[in-house]
Amino acid sequence: MFKDLDPLLHSQLRLQIMSLLIGVESAEFTYLLEETGATRGNLSVQISKLKDAEYIDVKKSFRKNYPLTTCTITPKGVEAFEKYVEALQDYLKVNKEKVKK
Amino acid sequence: METTFTEQDGLKVITEMIENSRAKIRDNGFFYLLWGWLVLIAGLSNFILLIVGFDKAWLPWPVLMIGGGIATGIAGYRLGKNARVKTFFDIAMIYLWNGFLVLLLFILFMAARGVISWVASNAIIIAIYGLGTFVSGGLLKFKPLIIGGVISWALAIITLFIPDIYSLLTIALSVIISYLIPGYLLKSRDKKLSHV
Repeated sequence: MFKDLDPLLHSQLRLQIMSLLIGVESAEFTYLLEETGATRGNLSVQISKLKDAEYIDVKKSFRKNYPLTTCTITPKGVEAFEKYVEALQDYLKVNKEKVKK
Repeated sequence: METTFTEQDGLKVITEMIENSRAKIRDNGFFYLLWGWLVLIAGLSNFILLIVGFDKAWLPWPVLMIGGGIATGIAGYRLGKNARVKTFFDIAMIYLWNGFLVLLLFILFMAARGVISWVASNAIIIAIYGLGTFVSGGLLKFKPLIIGGVISWALAIITLFIPDIYSLLTIALSVIISYLIPGYLLKSRDKKLSHV
C-alpha cells in the first residue's frame, strides 16, 4: 500500500518552496519568487501555510528601509519532506513493478 | 491546478528545485586571487629586501596583510548582506576561513615569541594554506584547488630542508599553485556558468 502523500507538500508551489529550502541554510522571499516563477500574492499565501504547519520559519526584518523576509526550513519541515520523498519512492517502486508485470 | 498535480510532477519539482539551489554553490575566485597576489607580493618583496640587505625586510607582510584583511572584511560583509540565499557551502566557508585566520595569527604569535622558528612557522603556514584550499576544493568539487592543497603540503615539507631565506620562495610558489592558478580557473568557470 502507498503511504499517504502529505497534502501540504503535494502541491506545485509549496513543494517548490520546500525543495529550494531543503538544500540551503536560508533564502529570501525574492529568491524564492525568482526560482519558483510564482506571483507575490500566491507565494505569500503558500509560505504562510507552510509556516502555520511549522514546516518553515519566517523572519521579517529590514534592509535599506525595505522589508526583508527570510525563510528557513525547520526540523519538522525536513522530516515531512523526507517522508514525502519516501512516499513518492514507494509509489514509483510499485509502478515499476506494475510495468514489469 | 493542484488537483492535477501527480506523483511524477512532485518528483520533477523536487529534482528541478534541488538542481537550482545546487547551482548557487559557486565561487568567482575573488578571495583566492586577492590573497594569492598579496601573499605572492609580500613573499617576493621580503625575499628581495633581504637580498639587498634592507633591515626591515619583513615590512611588506604587515602592510599587505592588514590591507588584505580590511579588503576581505568589507568584501565579505557586502557579499553576505547582498546574498539572497545562504547555502551550507557559504556557512562552511565562513567557518573554515575564520578558523584559518585564528590559526594563522596563533602561528605568527608563536614565531614572534620565539617558541618556533620562522622557517617552521613558514612551513606550517604553507601547510594550512593547503588545508584551506583542499577543503574548499572538496566542497566546490573543484580539482585544481584540491591538487593545489596537496602540492602545498609537499612544499611545506620541502621548506624544512632548504636554507631559511628560500622558505619565502616556497610560500610564493605555494600561493601560485594553490591560490592564483585555481583562482583564475574558478573565475573563468564562474563566467561560463553565468552565461548558461
